[in-house]
Amino acid sequence: MLTLIRREIRDHIVYFIAAVVFSAILIALLTAAAYHFESSESAVFVGLSIPMLVILVLGFSAMGVTQMYLDRNRRISAFLSALPVTRSRILTARIVAGLLAILIVLVPLAIAAIILGRLIAPPIPIFAGYIADILTTIFLMVLACYCLGLLTGWTANKIAPTFGALGLNLVLVSLVFVKGFGPDIKFLLVLVIVACLIRTWHKFMSTSL
Amino acid sequence: MQIRIDNASGRPVYQQIIDQIKRDIALGRLIKDEKLPTVRQLAAQLAINPNTIAKAYRQLEGEGIIVTRPGSGAFIANLDSNLSRAVRKRLLSDELERIAVEAFHMQIDRQTLLEWFNNAVEKFNVPSKKGQSDG
Amino acid sequence: MDDNVIKVENLVKYFDGRCVLDGINLTVPRGCIYGLLGRNGAGKTTIIRILLGTEPATRGRTLLLDTESTNLSPGIRGRIGCVAEGHNLIQNYRVNRIIKLCKDLALHWNDESFDHLIETFRLPMDRRVKDLSMGMRAQLNLSLAMAIDPELLILDDPTLGLDTVARRQFLELAIEVIQKQGRTILFCSHILSDVERIADRIGILAAGKLVVDCPLEQLKERVKKLRIIFPESPPENLYLTEIVNQQIHGREMTVTVANWNKQKQSILETFKPSSCTEIPMSLEDIFIECTRPGTEPV
Repeated sequence: MLTLIRREIRDHIVYFIAAVVFSAILIALLTAAAYHFESSESAVFVGLSIPMLVILVLGFSAMGVTQMYLDRNRRISAFLSALPVTRSRILTARIVAGLLAILIVLVPLAIAAIILGRLIAPPIPIFAGYIADILTTIFLMVLACYCLGLLTGWTANKIAPTFGALGLNLVLVSLVFVKGFGPDIKFLLVLVIVACLIRTWHKFMSTSL
Repeated sequence: MQIRIDNASGRPVYQQIIDQIKRDIALGRLIKDEKLPTVRQLAAQLAINPNTIAKAYRQLEGEGIIVTRPGSGAFIANLDSNLSRAVRKRLLSDELERIAVEAFHMQIDRQTLLEWFNNAVEKFNVPSKKGQSDG
Repeated sequence: MDDNVIKVENLVKYFDGRCVLDGINLTVPRGCIYGLLGRNGAGKTTIIRILLGTEPATRGRTLLLDTESTNLSPGIRGRIGCVAEGHNLIQNYRVNRIIKLCKDLALHWNDESFDHLIETFRLPMDRRVKDLSMGMRAQLNLSLAMAIDPELLILDDPTLGLDTVARRQFLELAIEVIQKQGRTILFCSHILSDVERIADRIGILAAGKLVVDCPLEQLKERVKKLRIIFPESPPENLYLTEIVNQQIHGREMTVTVANWNKQKQSILETFKPSSCTEIPMSLEDIFIECTRPGTEPV
């Protein structure tokens, strides 16, 4: 299993490097926003966060698409299935790699947010809860877009996954902005994630390689 | 021991091995009590299935041409063979009849055939009478 | 515990409504080298794909090492070495990366024999797979298949793209494998002389059926081609069973018969032919005769 995960990471190292870089950028932005909390400049930083989020979401969706598309294109699973591994392990390793990349971005961000919260803001419990809420929703949203990428990527077509994923992602992102960060949006996102994973699993397992 | 397998021939591979070992013996290239390569060695050397080699050896042993000693391997037998004269007659008669038929079809007369036969006999040092060896 | 390493039972396969395999029955016992022959498109690769589980059967079932092909666990796969048609490798990876991947995922790996193979074949470690010649890719595939010390080797046209020397190396390798206890090899090839050297049993696939399935040495004894000349025109019907092929030119009839025996000899003699000579058939000749359209199974 570890070998498979390592293989995924090495094949898609670009995304992991980008994740680290992005994480740093986001932390920088967050820190800057926190320290300018009182001034009017904070609005700029908050404003910047929206396109950042969009980039994040699209980036992970692209990662999902790339992982599956390259597999199909380069016949990676076809080669691996001749070896003593099961298809389920291949897919699991793939998803784990994706999760790892997501966590690389979000975990440091979360830690930074907590630290900054402790340092700067008044110790109001609601505030902490609010941050947790935002972060969880962001995590679920990114994960959902990643799963959408996985689902649309498992096809031989070059155009379909790109536009398919793009469209679906935009729908999701706009939904989040319309409905805010509440529990119902979280529920919806979990539903999307589960549905995507089940469908991807089924497609991956049953395709003739 | 040099054995060549001819793929175009109609003869099965094991038969070709048998033929060539017999030929080597007749030509004096293999002598009594000489050790033959093991099945494994010959299989590896020729890139041929060991079962084929084993079959050849078994048949040679059945005809009394080689003997296998357990633990030591296969050796060329003492050629004052223990096969009965009747068996030997049968084995050779089949071959001789085959030659006669071919000669008939090719319209070779008896005289010429006997001449060619004597040449072959000369070449392989077949003794005139049992116990003697020419030239 | 069954000693048949490969079992194919009533295998039927349709592709787009076209029948490619029409009821194939085949068993390969342990320790056997089985040569599967057939013209291009006869279905050899299909059988192998079904055996390895990459293609589903339409009807019937296949078993490898007593396990259904659709259900091969990693434990079983680890005991099977395979070289697929077209030498399926990840094209972008470098040779050493592919090797490391296979090695890390393998259940057994024989370092010594693998290193020896790489050296014999002189494979460049740093090159990308897509930059290797076809022959080198074949050799890499073979080395990877052999390195796991497989109980069962399934090879689809393993000598495709190999030069003469490399082909001989492959044959020697195959013999080396079979000399070890309990190993079995199933391979397809178009190079009949190679098959003739190393196979124990032969199967010939034609028109979706296994027209021949018997030990190699028996094949040459059982299938005979005779040139028969009659004093007048040849009879319409020779009343011989199992005629694989029959051709008439004037007074001469060339007939290929399976399972030749004394009975058939005597039947033939009742027609009083003026001459009857046997035409020696190499495996290639037998193959060509057996794959003519309209051939009955031997």
